[in-house]
Amino acid sequence: MQRKARIKVEKLTYHYGSGQPVLKNISFETGKGECIALIGQNGAGKTTLAKHFNGLHRPSSGKVYIDGIDTTSTKVSELARKVGFVFQNPDHQIFHDTVAREVAFGLRNLRLSRREIEERTAAALEAVGLTEHCRTYPFNLSKGQRQRIALASVLAMQTETIVLDEPTTGQDFRESVQIMEIVRKLNENGHTIIFITHDMSLVARYARRVLVLCRGEILADGDVRSVFAAPEILKKTYLRPPQITNLARCLGRHSIPPDVLGVRELYELLVKMRSEKIGCCS
Amino acid sequence: MVTLALLQIKNFSFSYPRSAQPALQGINISVEKGEFIGITGPTGAGKSTLTYCLNGIIPHFQGGSCQGRISLGGASIFDRSPAQISRLVGSVFQDPEAQIISPEVEQELAFGPENLGFPPAEIEQRIGKALELAGIPGLRNRPTVNLSGGEKQRVAIAAALAMLPEILVLDEPTSELDPVGTDEIFQVLNLLNKEHGMTIIMVEQKTEQLAAYADRILVFNEGRIALEGEPRQVFARRRELEQIGVRIPQVARLAGLLGGYERCTLPLTVEEGHLYLESILRR
Amino acid sequence: MAAVAEYISRNSPIHRLNPLTKMIWALSILGVGLLFNDYRYLLALLASVLLVAAAAGVLRSLLPAAAGLTVFALILLLIQALFYGQGQVLFYLVPVSNRLAVTGPGLLSGIAMAARMMALVLSFLIFLATTRTRDIVLTLVEKLKVPYDYAFMFMTALRFIPAFFSEVRQVSEAQQARAYAVEGWNPVKKIRAYAPVAVPLVLLSLNKADQLAMAMETRGYSGGLRTCLREAKMGVADYGLSVLLALLLVGSAAARLAGYGLM
Repeated sequence: MQRKARIKVEKLTYHYGSGQPVLKNISFETGKGECIALIGQNGAGKTTLAKHFNGLHRPSSGKVYIDGIDTTSTKVSELARKVGFVFQNPDHQIFHDTVAREVAFGLRNLRLSRREIEERTAAALEAVGLTEHCRTYPFNLSKGQRQRIALASVLAMQTETIVLDEPTTGQDFRESVQIMEIVRKLNENGHTIIFITHDMSLVARYARRVLVLCRGEILADGDVRSVFAAPEILKKTYLRPPQITNLARCLGRHSIPPDVLGVRELYELLVKMRSEKIGCCS
Repeated sequence: MVTLALLQIKNFSFSYPRSAQPALQGINISVEKGEFIGITGPTGAGKSTLTYCLNGIIPHFQGGSCQGRISLGGASIFDRSPAQISRLVGSVFQDPEAQIISPEVEQELAFGPENLGFPPAEIEQRIGKALELAGIPGLRNRPTVNLSGGEKQRVAIAAALAMLPEILVLDEPTSELDPVGTDEIFQVLNLLNKEHGMTIIMVEQKTEQLAAYADRILVFNEGRIALEGEPRQVFARRRELEQIGVRIPQVARLAGLLGGYERCTLPLTVEEGHLYLESILRR
Repeated sequence: MAAVAEYISRNSPIHRLNPLTKMIWALSILGVGLLFNDYRYLLALLASVLLVAAAAGVLRSLLPAAAGLTVFALILLLIQALFYGQGQVLFYLVPVSNRLAVTGPGLLSGIAMAARMMALVLSFLIFLATTRTRDIVLTLVEKLKVPYDYAFMFMTALRFIPAFFSEVRQVSEAQQARAYAVEGWNPVKKIRAYAPVAVPLVLLSLNKADQLAMAMETRGYSGGLRTCLREAKMGVADYGLSVLLALLLVGSAAARLAGYGLM
């Protein structure tokens, strides 16, 4: 059986009003269960592209299909059943007096039964580790916790695809890792994930596929290793691979591969090399 | 000869009103003129609160109770009026959108000196100098709305510099910026510090850059200073940092795992890491 | 709509005029517009306003706003034409049953009202488009002796209008993404629909105001004695034009008293 594409973008071009195109002739597909990072400098069109995945933007020309449905003829509130969207700033959406009510908001919009709403809310709060805060006033929590409320309110809707727009911006290290670990689990449970970020070490650690945007065009689309191994492409959109990848590239003559993604990985390569060296000398 | 520190914080504690837990506890910091101090640590560790204590937001704008002493240029900061503090301490905040007051760049830079009542000729001179120091003379006549994030933060830095402060205090100025904007800010700060001797206190999560530019790093945790020292000393304390939740620059983490570097020579940047690994691989 | 009420940078003679002169001009348009109700006079007034816009090089940028105004103008025209009631019937909007008669004088009076409304609003928009906010503030403070705090409030409001609209959009998008249907025309639903958008907006605005206040505080804003980098200078052209505008206003009043420009 052919794998069904969850999101299919065909020759998408988009411009605000009559201005210059912000997105130019973009085509790609996502498969079920992928974890994709969307990267590029500010103004490259990342958020504009992402907003096409749930109908907040409609193509000026070209097509976007979600599960085979054309987004131009479907309401945003309908598409919300297919694609969840976590925005950069949780404070753009939180308005209830308790965390649980905030998470239940989307479910009430879907007109689910009360029991189902309660069950899904509890499960979503559990998944983001906020169960004990279900009756707390959201603004008494930290920004990182509020981002997790926003994430819970989206994942409670049990959409196949979840889009996250810079979910870790403005968060400290521990909060960032917490959020990305939740994202990893969601992906392992079969959700298709698309996330936007500026943090290349997060891309290296969590994404499998990378889409590089530059001035509204796709500069590169491939697995993380191949994209990070070609820093001259990233440079065009002013991005740098993670420090550790750059370090590994300096060690080519020691036959270290140029596409190392993590500290652990390079460490193990070096340890193996050292023990081999000792082995051959003895 | 005894040199007096520019900024001296002694046994300082602070609690917000209606809060049982003190936000800052037993803080001791001494900053010499021309130093670049980096402050990092998890959310809620008291980093922002400390910046508020330095720029007069506490106690003039936000109440609370404090103990201990903060002296700037020899006199207690709490004896000074907000206007006096604003001449000594230049402030840059996190959100580029919310801290720019004026619709135009020139007006934004003039705002502070105008408030202090300087004559137009002097204001003119300060604006020219501040724009140059922040590397944005070309932005002078631009409206502030459609500047990029990095440009907005550099305007904020220039506006602070137009006050001719003794010290620049920045609270996570790059957290909303992309890598280009972040680099812009670090380059401007580095130039200010190295070339013009500006004293800088910067709260920041991006430890890779902070390690490369700061003379000294303070790690805050739960209202206290948990670790303090030169970047190489601080980032060698892997276990403590992981426990507190501070990102260690990747090169330093690798070196920490491999070991075999001399004391005080923990590599922090890619270049240093390269030299270090070459020496290890040669052995 | 973001372009409305925003300064448009050009190097035109209109831009170089003192804000006070342009304020006097906008007020003169208001005065003349209210004095007459002959459609020919008011169309001429509107034409003069458009000429000024063209001279300032902002006509094209004001077109979207003008298009929006035209819709209002047409509604105004229609209402006036329908309810004027007197005079010879030109045609019926519902021809079969001879309902909704449009009379000749009704139509002309409708045109007059529409032209007046457009002239007044456009003159104010031209003032904003050709004058930097800082110069407006300066004029308010230095020439008109408005306290700086009020002028500053006015300026800050203008500065945050675009940011506010972008926030309205972001909040409503965030709620739509959670299956919230803002679409639809049911008025009861529309009003109840405000909470999910209005509550975050209020909280965000309060937060922003707080941060802005902190930024001001750290830049020495304390209500003490203040200086200004720039000076609001009146040139020869400014004085000349102001006198001409005053003469125009007096002349118009005299003409009106003599019975001209009435229908």
